[in-house]
Amino acid sequence: MSAGARLLAVAAGAALLAPLCAFMPPAADKVGADFLVTAAPVYAPLAEMRGAERFPQGAQLLLAHGGKAEPLVEGFAATADADVSFDGKQVLFAGKKTAGEPWQVWELTLADRSIRKVIVTESDAERPLYLPGERMVWAQRTRHGFQIESAEDGDLPHEAFLNPTAGPGVLALSYIRASAFPTDVLADGRILFESGFPLGQGATPELYVMYADGSGVEAYRCDHGRGRWGGAQLASGDVVFTHGASLARFTSALAQEAPVDAPRAEYAGAVAETASGDWLFSVRPTAGAHYAIELWNPNAPAKSESARLETVLAMSGRDLVEPVLLAPRTRPRRFPSGLHPWDYANLLALDARVSLDGDLNETPASVRLETLDSAGHVVVNGTAPLESDGSFFVKTPADQPIRFLLLDRKGAVLRSERGWFWIRSGEQRICVGCHAGPARSPENRVPGVLLRSTTPVDLTGGSGSLHAAIQNQPAGGNAR
Amino acid sequence: MRGMPGNRRGRAGLATAFCALAAAVFGVAMWNPGTVKAAAGGRTGEHLIYASPVELLFSPDGARLYVLCNQSDEVRVLDGSTYSVIKNISVGHEPRGFSLSPDGARLFVANSWDDTLSVIDTRTLEVVATWPVGAEPSSVVEDRRAERLYVANRISNDVAVLDAQTGAEEKRLAAGRGASYMTASPDGRRLYVTHIYPNPSPHRTPPESEVTVIDAASAEVVDRIPLRSIAGVFHIAFSADGRLGVVAELHPKNLVPLTAVEHGWVMEDTLTLFGDDVGDKTVEIPLDDLESHAARPFGVAMTPDGSRMYVTSGGSEIVTVIDVPRLLRYVRLNRRGIAYDLSASGNYVVKRIAVGHDPRGVALSPDGRRLLVANRLDDTISVIDTRSDCVVSTIALAGPKVISALRHGEQTFYTARYSFHGGIGCANCHLDSTFDGLQWDLEPDGLGRDIVDNRLLEEVKDTAPYKWNGGNPDLPTECGPRTEKYFWRSENYDDLTLADLVLYIRSLPARPNRWRLPDGQLTPAQERGKAIFERSVDNFGRPIPLANRCAFCHSGPLGTSRKSFDVGTKKETDDSGLLDTPQLTNIALTAPYLHDGSAATLEEIWTLYNPHDQHGRTNDLTKDELNDLIEYLRTR
Repeated sequence: MSAGARLLAVAAGAALLAPLCAFMPPAADKVGADFLVTAAPVYAPLAEMRGAERFPQGAQLLLAHGGKAEPLVEGFAATADADVSFDGKQVLFAGKKTAGEPWQVWELTLADRSIRKVIVTESDAERPLYLPGERMVWAQRTRHGFQIESAEDGDLPHEAFLNPTAGPGVLALSYIRASAFPTDVLADGRILFESGFPLGQGATPELYVMYADGSGVEAYRCDHGRGRWGGAQLASGDVVFTHGASLARFTSALAQEAPVDAPRAEYAGAVAETASGDWLFSVRPTAGAHYAIELWNPNAPAKSESARLETVLAMSGRDLVEPVLLAPRTRPRRFPSGLHPWDYANLLALDARVSLDGDLNETPASVRLETLDSAGHVVVNGTAPLESDGSFFVKTPADQPIRFLLLDRKGAVLRSERGWFWIRSGEQRICVGCHAGPARSPENRVPGVLLRSTTPVDLTGGSGSLHAAIQNQPAGGNAR
Repeated sequence: MRGMPGNRRGRAGLATAFCALAAAVFGVAMWNPGTVKAAAGGRTGEHLIYASPVELLFSPDGARLYVLCNQSDEVRVLDGSTYSVIKNISVGHEPRGFSLSPDGARLFVANSWDDTLSVIDTRTLEVVATWPVGAEPSSVVEDRRAERLYVANRISNDVAVLDAQTGAEEKRLAAGRGASYMTASPDGRRLYVTHIYPNPSPHRTPPESEVTVIDAASAEVVDRIPLRSIAGVFHIAFSADGRLGVVAELHPKNLVPLTAVEHGWVMEDTLTLFGDDVGDKTVEIPLDDLESHAARPFGVAMTPDGSRMYVTSGGSEIVTVIDVPRLLRYVRLNRRGIAYDLSASGNYVVKRIAVGHDPRGVALSPDGRRLLVANRLDDTISVIDTRSDCVVSTIALAGPKVISALRHGEQTFYTARYSFHGGIGCANCHLDSTFDGLQWDLEPDGLGRDIVDNRLLEEVKDTAPYKWNGGNPDLPTECGPRTEKYFWRSENYDDLTLADLVLYIRSLPARPNRWRLPDGQLTPAQERGKAIFERSVDNFGRPIPLANRCAFCHSGPLGTSRKSFDVGTKKETDDSGLLDTPQLTNIALTAPYLHDGSAATLEEIWTLYNPHDQHGRTNDLTKDELNDLIEYLRTR
């Protein structure tokens, strides 16, 4: 950020959560639209993943408009997490009327400035995003941390979406013993979310996707390692995210992240892309400084004058984060859920030996399914045999954390999944292998297990599961 | 997505800006690619005849551009520089392929529904001869010595060898199934033939196709290059030095339950490379990415300097640009498993160029500076500058300027834009609006259960209900929510588009039946077979129960009573033996048979899968009588 630009930033009111007002430097004109930001004395980007508060001293949504930044709504003790409807006419946001109450989800209609509470819950409901098909998705605080939930809008435009929480119409999407937060709805209709890696137990922030009914959960890419969060999709389809000290992107052609040659700085989270292709993001020069809203041209030659950050909005004593353009945008594709009306799921692995983790030293003989009980203890649900081609087909418990372990003939663990995932009720999921990665497409062959039987081995934990496993022991590979 | 609509920046944006500049230089308005032309209210209910360009050729000197127009049954001759019309030449019905004689003096056109070749004198631009050939001729090539013409026949699965001067047929060479596209090697010594249908293979095993290689001098098949796991093969191109051949093809995943479209789960779009540049074995490479497809690759061309390869993808409405040296370096280092690695294409694909609806054939100008692309369902030709790899102009062919509902339905049928990540469209499995010869494992019935053979769409309009279990009462049900949920796995059409799609499918006629005599009479064998089909008493004089006569279930002009019966073909993996009676339209073409494709031939229906006479009374028939019955069925 240039010193000159810094000087243009105007100090706002000093009092915590007092109405804020700021004037913006000329770079704001380049944004080409009004935008929303969350202003907070302190912003800790990943705090909620650890169970703490992102905005420990409160936050307030600002509308940057006509060269000024003013509070988006009045009468709230705290507001944050703005998401603009696809037609640009409404804004979803998390808000608290009083400092002591939990975050709830509200909707502002811009035309008449009316506000409605769209979710009534007893615990925090945050990070709301619009979904196609008159639906929304958000993060709901539960006893297992924040979980992602979804719901359909009600018939009456000024009535609550839902009342009360977990009532009819609420669809829980994530089922892990760790927090997960939606960060964007992709053009293909999937929900991009951030959680720890390994999923369900790790602490390194990672980006995942699932369909809008919670099925098909997987890591967006499998080059795990550095923490990445704040993912948002650009018009090109690329997903840009931050490592904190740098930006990177996922692009369709690559199985690994690609670096973004942005200035060295600390990046708070998601990028908002302007109509001209510039990026609007929250950034600070060093860890001790406050985040400001900067504009950057990602296509300018590195080190050129046009490649530097331009301050759009900065406020003394405030972190400005979560920039969102206040403009219509392309509606993502609606996902047509094909879940069956079951209370279990089926999983078919084509070749469990296939993994990005490399070849196994020994041929696995069976696969064990484990889940977690309500207290977080590991429960063994049973085992199923592996066919000679590495395939297995099992009936699994749904809507709870599960993982698979490959066993040798003596029952010793050859390889286990690093984390946990879930399969939705009624989902029929197929995996190429165990951690094969999204770049791996399946070979065209009938999996050996389906030539033996089209009835999955029951590993739901019911009384029949071990019996079923024994009944389906390999019999010499005489597939019919 | 949090970006704003209309974003034009990024690499694509820079490219667009450059392309716009190039368009200005060429003085031609740039067409806005990638948009559905038939918006609500903009279409007409009239039945209009469009040009529908499918193939392009430059004359050797580049002065003329020949455009093969599939629906208007024409060759349109344009100026090779200005693209102004020189002449429209009427040819036979449904022309599918054409080529110039090596000296450029004659243009040969394969008329697929007439079973003829049109021979055009390129000096006078007149049709000087029309010669009969095999069943559904789809491409034609003359040898370098102008002695022989080779014609790939899709239905008779062979290559006819004709006298190049008289058209007299010398012999037939057995090709693979659905012989369709033929290309000569740069030295003219070899002809390479591809096939849109897979060769017969054992039930529930990967499909396999082939490239049939013919020695042009001896008119003999000298090699069959296997294309394993491939079904649906289109054009071939060669590098100028002949060291690299490339085949555009589909790699279906029909043996894996269809639970998702992502990650190449239903179909991959690939190329097979062969020739000295890649060594002794062929190499299959994906065109797709992790989150986007190059659906239905069709036309392919390589620049004269060997630096670039261009591939059209009809479903994705794009041209993929490949850096050939990078591709060769990559395949030399990574020979195994490339076909299943969707991140591979990032190593050699350098650009995706949006063009029109259902891009098909391509032609490079003799200097290699321009690549022309035939956009079949737009009646346009995209002109791509091969230095910038940008569309610099779009040639609009003469014809209707409004989009009929039928045309909009056809565009919908052929696009892949409605499926998740643009992976597939109707035409992926109903190749050229027909079938694919494959059996699929659809997810709703359970994984590995109710395996279903893909049925022909010809004359499908009066055969409701649909699906093998007769579960869909009409085409809107068949093509609407069911398709959205279980095939596209993504948001489907609006109601207007669905109506147009159904209109198109209902319009599909039966192709000419090649087993019927021209006068409609039956041969003696066919007459005998007809009597068996309609008989009420078996060979032992016993009455055949009504429901066990062929003509009872397969009644009416289409050969279906539109009711379900259990004919004893239920397999362990089937939920029910009650099956919809399939229509008999052009049944000779659609092997394999039965609901799950387990009968490789018509004969096997009765010799292997009818032990208890549930599928008609047939066990009393002699071998000759069964042959007669089959002869008759082929006329349906």
